[in-house]
Amino acid sequence: MSTGSGTSMDAPAFISSMDAGRVLARRERRFASALLAPAFAALLATTTFPLLYLIWTSTFRIDLAMPFTNGFIGIDNYRDLLADSRFWSSLSVSMIYTISTVVLQVAIGLGLALFVMGMKKGQGLFRLIAILPVVLSPAVVGMVWRTFMLQPEFGIVDFLSINAGLGSQNWLGDPTLAMISVIVIHTWQWTPFAFMVLLASLAALPDDIYEAARIDRASAWQRFRRITLPLLRPAIVMVVIMRTMVALTAFAAIFTVTGGGPGTATEILNLYAYRKSFTELSIGYGSALAVALLVVTIIISAALFAVRRAK
Amino acid sequence: MTAKRLRIAAVIAISLIFILAWMFPILWSFLNSLKTDKDVLAYPPKVLFTPTLEAYRDVLFGSASILPNLVSSFIISIGTTVITMLLAVPAAYALARLRFPGKRFAGFYVLATQMLPPVGIIIPYFLVLRGIGWIDTYQGIILIYLSFSLPFAIWLLVSYFEDIPFEMEEAAYLDGASRLRTLWRIIIPQVRGGISVTVVFVFLNAWNEFLFAVVLSGNTVRPVTVAMYNFISVEQTLWTKLAAVSVLAMLPVILLGIFAQKHIVKGLTVGAVKGGGRR
Amino acid sequence: MVFRSTRRTFLKGSVGASAMLLGAPAFLRGAAAQDNDLAPYTSAKIDWKQASGESITVAVIPASYFDNLISIAPQFQELTGINVRFEKIPPAQIRQKCVIDLTSKTGTYATHAADPMYYALYAANKWAEPLDRYLNDASLTDKAWFNFDDIIPAWRGADSVDGKLYGIPYDGEVTIQVYRKDLYEAKGLKPADNLEAFVANAAALNDPGNRIWGAALRGVAGAGQNMYIYPSIFREFGGEWFKGGKLTVNGPEAEAALTWYVDLMRKYAPAAAQNWNWPDIADAFSQGTIGAYIDAHSSASVVNNADKSKVIGKVAYARWPKGPSGKRVTSIWNWGFPINAALPDKRKKATWLFIQWAASAETQARTSYKFAGPAKRSGVNRTSVWKDPAYIKLMSSFGNNFVEAAMDSLQHDTDVDWRPRVPQWPAIGDTMATAIQSALAGQATVKAALDDAQKRIEPMMKG
Repeated sequence: MSTGSGTSMDAPAFISSMDAGRVLARRERRFASALLAPAFAALLATTTFPLLYLIWTSTFRIDLAMPFTNGFIGIDNYRDLLADSRFWSSLSVSMIYTISTVVLQVAIGLGLALFVMGMKKGQGLFRLIAILPVVLSPAVVGMVWRTFMLQPEFGIVDFLSINAGLGSQNWLGDPTLAMISVIVIHTWQWTPFAFMVLLASLAALPDDIYEAARIDRASAWQRFRRITLPLLRPAIVMVVIMRTMVALTAFAAIFTVTGGGPGTATEILNLYAYRKSFTELSIGYGSALAVALLVVTIIISAALFAVRRAK
Repeated sequence: MTAKRLRIAAVIAISLIFILAWMFPILWSFLNSLKTDKDVLAYPPKVLFTPTLEAYRDVLFGSASILPNLVSSFIISIGTTVITMLLAVPAAYALARLRFPGKRFAGFYVLATQMLPPVGIIIPYFLVLRGIGWIDTYQGIILIYLSFSLPFAIWLLVSYFEDIPFEMEEAAYLDGASRLRTLWRIIIPQVRGGISVTVVFVFLNAWNEFLFAVVLSGNTVRPVTVAMYNFISVEQTLWTKLAAVSVLAMLPVILLGIFAQKHIVKGLTVGAVKGGGRR
Repeated sequence: MVFRSTRRTFLKGSVGASAMLLGAPAFLRGAAAQDNDLAPYTSAKIDWKQASGESITVAVIPASYFDNLISIAPQFQELTGINVRFEKIPPAQIRQKCVIDLTSKTGTYATHAADPMYYALYAANKWAEPLDRYLNDASLTDKAWFNFDDIIPAWRGADSVDGKLYGIPYDGEVTIQVYRKDLYEAKGLKPADNLEAFVANAAALNDPGNRIWGAALRGVAGAGQNMYIYPSIFREFGGEWFKGGKLTVNGPEAEAALTWYVDLMRKYAPAAAQNWNWPDIADAFSQGTIGAYIDAHSSASVVNNADKSKVIGKVAYARWPKGPSGKRVTSIWNWGFPINAALPDKRKKATWLFIQWAASAETQARTSYKFAGPAKRSGVNRTSVWKDPAYIKLMSSFGNNFVEAAMDSLQHDTDVDWRPRVPQWPAIGDTMATAIQSALAGQATVKAALDDAQKRIEPMMKG
């Protein structure tokens, strides 16, 4: 985040007004604190405090099924976690889910944005329809897909598959298909986001560069590779960052569609933490899993922000 | 000439595929909500059938009416939006335009709070709300929704505040206007667009929230995203009612989406170009 | 748009309404108005008003059998002066919500529809009151009037831990075979008496090309879903959960049982069934695509629901087939009411009065065959009601042998320890459910799935 404007005022040229400047600066500080205080108090209460509490509980054994074993255990939950194959498998499910949905969203979104940019009519319709999935609740989307779309036989996807000669498929019951299904659902819902952002960025590109390229007789592909892509890079990177953060913490859609199943085929880390805490009632270990998720999110976003900064 | 015609046909075909793909799940839920259970379960799926509004009548006016849940969703979303904006606008202004020590850190803090995994913070919320007697109350759920709406709103608004030319403020100060007055009279009108965009997004996020609502809501406060699960009963799935409830849950946000289309596109782009945003 | 105006069923889960209207017209005319006479209650020799003025909240699931109770709850308020507020929570969420309430000792829910498998957990944490002292307190309970022993013994047993009672059954179910008698007759088949015959019947009927599958069992992961059916198979194969005091889930019987389950589902069930829950099975059966299934007797109301079923009049019932060990083991379930230990004393009494009222023979009848609405409960908690001619007549409209199969199963085919009843059940149930589903889905072999479950369960059992 940029530190904003106003730093140019710091030039210490006006010696005579230094005292006045100090007074002004103090006033500005006070004003800033007054404006920030309520919001930051709310943030501390609703985000930082629960986070500290989470880290604290992750150092305890809190097992509701065996209350007599509860107590402080230091980093034992984390040690268990590193040896827990289901943690690693859920982490890899999270990674597959995140990477594939983000790649698909950006690829389809970009392709579609280029396609729509070339259209003379109908851009408005595209923009309008694209809004629809984005505004919906992932919980409702998940429910609709699970039932009316993917239910074998009377679900419409299955019906199309039967008619296409692929036969009735067990969309949410087969490990691979279930993973594909949840990826498709997420991609369905959020590709419009990438599409709209990239379309707007494309529209903002200056026309004259293309003119120049056309005069140079660059092919469409060359123009795309050499001009469009580099110019779009900041927008693409930002879309990747935003979509990655969302995909990593996605919960409702998978929870409602497969609940992590079949078996653990679609169990993302988030869902594993939920099941440990609220189904198995191992709240200490569940907290450790949530902390692990946070660490993973921070590492990945730090890496992505580093990419963004590197020109 | 045929090549051009082919191209046009291809363009239309691709457009249709995407537009249909995006509309279809919504459209199909709507169609199913007009069917009878027999028609929903029919194989092959029925596109032509005698429509009935029975499912809507039942879910709106029957014994398990979801009207209270729709009202609940509205109260939660509007309440969250109002409080978020009251807190976020001043904070975003300070972050964007004032000088104070620790500013970089404050900005980073707002960003970092967006990374918190919701799953991990449910239990502390529950304990705190219980402690102050706010379980199953609007103030309780709105307070919790601030955890994701506030960082997002501040983030989005900062980029709008940063866009205002600095001279405007200076001119106001030179005229002797107070800071608060300047903020209210000069700055806020400049970011009206940004504020509308933020309002739309905060409202959508609050309406669509699921995880916190599942665990922390009760009879008094239960948004429609959670209540719809009552239609998968232990006895049978009430297909048409489920479809009707899905449509009713989608309708307000779809309408908002259509009316606020420009704002949404703008919000997405501003967020994306300047960075930040949660959804 | 055409506005279809037909008879409307307001009550959710208007189960089998029309079927029953046809089945028992004379009887329904007699029950047109809800009985609201309090005399059958005031004949009990206790002071119903002793906790007057108290308010309690009761968490239930959205189901017609609780809807019926809610609709006659004003009678309870009139009888006792106790104010009852109901909160409906979807079945997938009620356990979590109640556990969070219990563990935080908030006392939000005075009582709730409890999963019988959770009582060991409640007892270990002292979250729920042992109920014997309420039952034996003459000022609170008229034993002769309440007649506790009339409540189905299998369900009572399931709500007790180490001989102590923690919940009073309100509504329950038992799993039985449900089959298409028309298809069976056409092929000269008899309802299966053992698991082999069940597979043979399924094989004889299986014809996916014509959209008929031989059989289906619920396969979706969940402690109350596939881990509701599998334990019966496991026990029928001679499995014991605790061998030498150690919970073992990967023994030879387990392997044989799960292999049977996986084979049946792979060969003779629709591929999707491994992800199905009971409503999905009942829906498919009602569309005529399934030859037989084993599931809760209460699903009879769905397959007889005139609003969607195509198989009305073609359904018959039988007990679980015997396993290789010669035993029949049915899966049983009941929603019982415990008392939240975090309540103040007077509210505990109020809660007990509510439970006593809900579980009493009179309320059971008034929410079942005497209920004025369309949905009649099939899971009443009392032997006397199950033997009541009016109830039998009503239930018989579901198809041949319904009451007999259910009653025989409840009396002879259960064994309260058909699932491992330990405080760790929520974790064990979830782990097993995941393992079973990975085997069903082919994500892991039967052996690998069970070995992995054993590996995960062992540390859960260690202190």
